[in-house]
Amino acid sequence: MRSVARIEDLLRELAPQVLGALVSRHGQFDTCEDAVQEALLAAAQQWEERGVPDNPRSWLMTVASRRLVDEWRSEGARRRREETSAMLEIPERGRLATDQDDTLTLLFLCCHPSLSVPSQLALTLRAVGGLTTAEIANAFLVPETTMAQRISRAKESIRSAGVRFELPAKPEEADRLRVVMHVLYLVFNEGYLTSSGPSLNRADLTGEAIRLNRMLHALLPTEGEVAGLLALMLLTDARRAARTLPDGSLVPLDEQRRDLWDRRQIDEGIALLTRTLGTTSVGPYQMQAAIAAVHDEAPSAAETDWPQILALYDVLERVSPGPVITLNRAVAVAMVHGPRAGLALLGTLDNDERMKRNHRLEAVRGHLLELAGDLAAARESYQRAARMSASIPEQRYLTLRAARLA
Amino acid sequence: MKYMIMTFGSAEAGVAAMGRDWMLEMIQFMRKLDDDLRKSGELVSAEGLADGSQAKTVRFENGISVATDGPFAESKESLVGYWIVDVESEGRAIEIASRIVDFVKVPIEVRRVMDAPPDF
Repeated sequence: MRSVARIEDLLRELAPQVLGALVSRHGQFDTCEDAVQEALLAAAQQWEERGVPDNPRSWLMTVASRRLVDEWRSEGARRRREETSAMLEIPERGRLATDQDDTLTLLFLCCHPSLSVPSQLALTLRAVGGLTTAEIANAFLVPETTMAQRISRAKESIRSAGVRFELPAKPEEADRLRVVMHVLYLVFNEGYLTSSGPSLNRADLTGEAIRLNRMLHALLPTEGEVAGLLALMLLTDARRAARTLPDGSLVPLDEQRRDLWDRRQIDEGIALLTRTLGTTSVGPYQMQAAIAAVHDEAPSAAETDWPQILALYDVLERVSPGPVITLNRAVAVAMVHGPRAGLALLGTLDNDERMKRNHRLEAVRGHLLELAGDLAAARESYQRAARMSASIPEQRYLTLRAARLA
Repeated sequence: MKYMIMTFGSAEAGVAAMGRDWMLEMIQFMRKLDDDLRKSGELVSAEGLADGSQAKTVRFENGISVATDGPFAESKESLVGYWIVDVESEGRAIEIASRIVDFVKVPIEVRRVMDAPPDF
């Protein structure tokens, strides 16, 4: 069993390297991607029976290249065949630096802004993460045929948009990196926030997001926000075991059993954040990670250093202002200056179009009204929040919260 | 995010109101729509339901559950079919529903499936 898991880890690590090398050589991303998937499936079967070959990377390269040749032959195009034989004469590049560039280029390609967000997620998990279409479909609770279609459409879009297999040019690099990080963040959320109940597959998305983020961090060690996002994921995922009860119901942060938090992940996240802060310009992921770290370091909810959290929210609001940040800051304001001060800040969001249908505004208001002792109003806010929520565990939590105040 | 797109009414009422040719066109339209949604990688599932007159309702009466025939509510209020789509935004779900409404000219309901992650 352990060797199967080891083979899987190895394949996932090699998948983007092999694909990147093939695409950089042949250009045809869609055909190469199919070939690599087939090579991965073949490897998963054969390595388990016969053991891992001495050079697994070149084994995958050879098998994937053979698939490519088969594919081109079956197309029957003579020109293609000539290209193929030429291709096979090129010696395999073994330099590590090239592999890393290829993997990074691949990640940028899968998160290309011309793709829809669901397509970016699916393509990244398949081409960079090395997951099968069935695994991705399972994780997003859609039929495999739907996911297969989504992936093939995404590949088609990349081809028709004429996207080249190269790293983004300097002027757009920062924007493109932000998209990549956002995709990883969404994959993480999808897994972390729905890891309750029977959908165990979704928890794997959390692990996958962390793994891909580790890879990105290794490729771009000086990007503070990449490190910040990784720290944020580690510090958030550390609470996973405590945030739901066995029946799937949610436990808010202040009621969680902190002995269930994963110390090792917290230590790693804090160490990473400490190494990063101050070395580059401050960004929203680093600030959110810093806030998560303050929560994780508190021995109990009552001992939380709220003034520090409020100070961090002040910085966060300066770096990336927005209604959601204001909403979170209102909680910190309430904890430092009292619930009425928090409620006053929330009031500034009442006419914000972006928050009109956001249940969190009402959920937070309910919480602060409850702290202020206005139980009737708190109850109404919780009920409104429950109606607006699109999550069953959350809707139940809010409904029960309201019922408790009846 | 997933949405359920629901249609109401009955085939009988559709033919009565719009005629046979319209009905034939509608069948083609629905096939094309399903096909498009499948190709775009958005279709999760789609089903049509038996006519509302064939439904049974199970009620709690005198301490036990009892099945009775019906509902016999107005057929235009009866759920007759649905699509579940997994789309990028609510706007896209509404766009799909609008395409149906432009054809059938009767109201369609769009409801979010509770698949969002909880917020804390």
